[in-house]
Amino acid sequence: MAILERSEWYDVARDTNWTPSYVKEEELFPDQMTGGLGVSRDKWKSYDEPYKTSYPEYVKIQREKDSAAYSVKAALDRSQMIETADPGWASILKSHYGAIALGEYAAMSAEARMARFGMAPGMRNMATFGMMDENRHAQLQLYFPHEHCSKDRQFDWAQKAYHTNEWAAIAARHAFDDLFLSRDATSIAVMLTFAFETGFTNMQFLGLAADAAEAGDYTFSSLISSIQTDESRHAQIGGPALQVLIENGKKEEAERLVYMGIARAWRIFGVLTGPAMDYYTPLSHRKQSFKEFMQEWIVGQFERSLIELGLDLPWYWDQMIAEFDYQHHAYHLGVWFWRPTVWWNPAAGVTPDDRDWLEEKYPGWNDTFGKCWDVIIDNILAGRHEKTLPETLPIVCNMSQLPICAIPGNGWNVRDYPAEYQGRTYHFNSEIDRWVFQQDPVRYRDHMSIVDRMLAGLIQPPDLGGALKYMNIAPGECGEDAHKYAWAEAYRANPYAKKAA
Amino acid sequence: MSQSPELLKPLKTWSHLAGNRRRPSEYEIVSTNLHFSTDNPDAPFELDPNFAMAQWFKKYRNQSAITHPDWNSFRDPDEIVYRTYNLIQDGQETYVFGLFDQFSDREHDKALSSEWSAVLAKLYTPGRYLWHALQMMSAYVCQMAPASTISNCATYQAADHLRWLTHTAYRTTELSKTFPGAGFGSNEQACWEKDAAWQGIRELMEKALVTWDWAESFVALNLVAKPAVEEATMRSLGEAARHNGDTLLGLLIDAQMADAARHRKWAAALVKKMIEQEGNRERLVACVNAWMPLAEKAIGGYCKQLPDVPDAAAKALDTVKTFHRSIGL
Repeated sequence: MAILERSEWYDVARDTNWTPSYVKEEELFPDQMTGGLGVSRDKWKSYDEPYKTSYPEYVKIQREKDSAAYSVKAALDRSQMIETADPGWASILKSHYGAIALGEYAAMSAEARMARFGMAPGMRNMATFGMMDENRHAQLQLYFPHEHCSKDRQFDWAQKAYHTNEWAAIAARHAFDDLFLSRDATSIAVMLTFAFETGFTNMQFLGLAADAAEAGDYTFSSLISSIQTDESRHAQIGGPALQVLIENGKKEEAERLVYMGIARAWRIFGVLTGPAMDYYTPLSHRKQSFKEFMQEWIVGQFERSLIELGLDLPWYWDQMIAEFDYQHHAYHLGVWFWRPTVWWNPAAGVTPDDRDWLEEKYPGWNDTFGKCWDVIIDNILAGRHEKTLPETLPIVCNMSQLPICAIPGNGWNVRDYPAEYQGRTYHFNSEIDRWVFQQDPVRYRDHMSIVDRMLAGLIQPPDLGGALKYMNIAPGECGEDAHKYAWAEAYRANPYAKKAA
Repeated sequence: MSQSPELLKPLKTWSHLAGNRRRPSEYEIVSTNLHFSTDNPDAPFELDPNFAMAQWFKKYRNQSAITHPDWNSFRDPDEIVYRTYNLIQDGQETYVFGLFDQFSDREHDKALSSEWSAVLAKLYTPGRYLWHALQMMSAYVCQMAPASTISNCATYQAADHLRWLTHTAYRTTELSKTFPGAGFGSNEQACWEKDAAWQGIRELMEKALVTWDWAESFVALNLVAKPAVEEATMRSLGEAARHNGDTLLGLLIDAQMADAARHRKWAAALVKKMIEQEGNRERLVACVNAWMPLAEKAIGGYCKQLPDVPDAAAKALDTVKTFHRSIGL
């Protein structure tokens, strides 16, 4: 008879729900932690995870994957890739590790919530592998940057960022705490695995992997593609959970969770991946523009999977797609300007050639964002660097915790979307952010953005110096222009002239 | 800009480990100080400080009676990291599935008596509910523990319990082929919910599962429930197996007990960390004592049904108490 096929015993291993009698069912699975939306545990019997694996397969495959990822690293350790690559590339690595490593670790806790409070045994088993996966991702993305600590203090932020009040760290915590760390098991299945991991981690991990390979960083490329193979497995926890909700009359609630998840994820990727793809990655290594990537991986993928499930597209779909044209350009401009407040060195990415490319990919870029960069370039060339640096903090959105910003120059559309709740006025970047707040104001009620904190006197002195101290970021860590303004020299002899269309 | 003139220099390791004045291990680099929800005791999340989930973490984690000023100083004595976990367990699984393969070739199950097969249907295969309960509860400790080094131990422990569940599901299916009609694969839930052998264990597990305070949850799981059920439903059952020609089950349980030993090792280390603080030892003893009557009942109820191990309950209980003494409780 030899070894039985997995399919012969798989169902036994996920037949583990029982009827408790020493405690009540609702005590064992309290609503606050399960988020069952009133669908009884009985109905969850139809939950069927599409990607099946078992413990012995898991440990074997994961051992092999780790062996591959770590041996690529070992083989290339002496290649001095970081020292020789374009400085924009090192900035991508620093921003990525700082924003992602501990977020992955938080995702382990969220997977653990599903492993304990998930309504279906198959979901709990898959989430147990999910816990392991996220444990892996945190460890890999700490181990790999750690070797660079001795050369560059900014790499310390791979471990440190989430423990600070640096503004991007606040934004990342706010988003990830809201997307998964503080959610119930059902919401995690929908918001983390379906909304966030299915589409967006593909962006960060496959998109960046392609750029990394182009840039010659094979260590990073193999690392993040290896991570993505785990993500694409445990991302499938959410789909069948949505099916159960829809079959049991909870379509509207399911949609709400999906929409909140996509809305929150979009902002994070707009600020993290957008600048990395369209500005930090050297022009010759760019595979696709951020917008093209979003169109293909987010719009295409979600439209397919939402339709497959019988869910409607989010009400804000067209608006979000319209934002692909400008939001990340605005974030990039902000990050570069406020560069002393970040733990990486933002690459301006606006040489004349870059601008031709940006104009091609984003028609109108020169008349909008380009106008701001023209002023910056003039100041740099005139040696007025202080005019390219901030003196205080920008107004930030009470949802994304990112600056409220949009199109400058000829296309000006920057405005605040305020909301009143219990006597306090909150400020939002868009209707989408405001809508998320309105879904459950209690979750966000007494949170203070970094600007609220400055106004409340928690940041002393209330200027940039005080803010840097509050963010626990100091010279040696503070970002500078990645290329020490060398890129601006191209404009000294020849002011930029837009290519004729 | 009023910046300090000091320019921070690169360090050999993470700044939070740099003061240790020794080269950090891979374990320390990838495992320490990773929870950020513990940084601000008033607001676990970067959200409203008092919405329902924030209150859950404040109440059941931050306000636990067992306190320590530096939970992040806890270290897993085995320093297991993800990649070594898979190295170890892939090897272990190769061994276990090698056993399954060999014993299947030798038609091991056909040589088992029908009396013993009835014991397996009643006392072995319903255990998958128990392993799953341990898996779920380990996942709870993982998400509530105040230090990443503690959470990691609980993560690997949750995976180990899924491992035991998987072995049991596998054997359940295999046994159902040799003994159709004996209830393998069909009667386990009824046994788990109704059979006298399991009711003490189920009561212990259900009550432990709804223990929300993280430290009490750890005590109920790792210091009481796990040692008790492992001694009864694994070690004692393994002994009974060897008296009934079931070499395979004996060997399988031995393999699983290696995981259990690892779990006790980290639990012992965490207790050691806890009792550094005055008052914690007394609190832990009180907590263990509060849970032990349920554990005794669980052990007694199960062991009473075990054939050929007359002193099983006493031995199991003694091992649990010896474990407690060995860790200073």
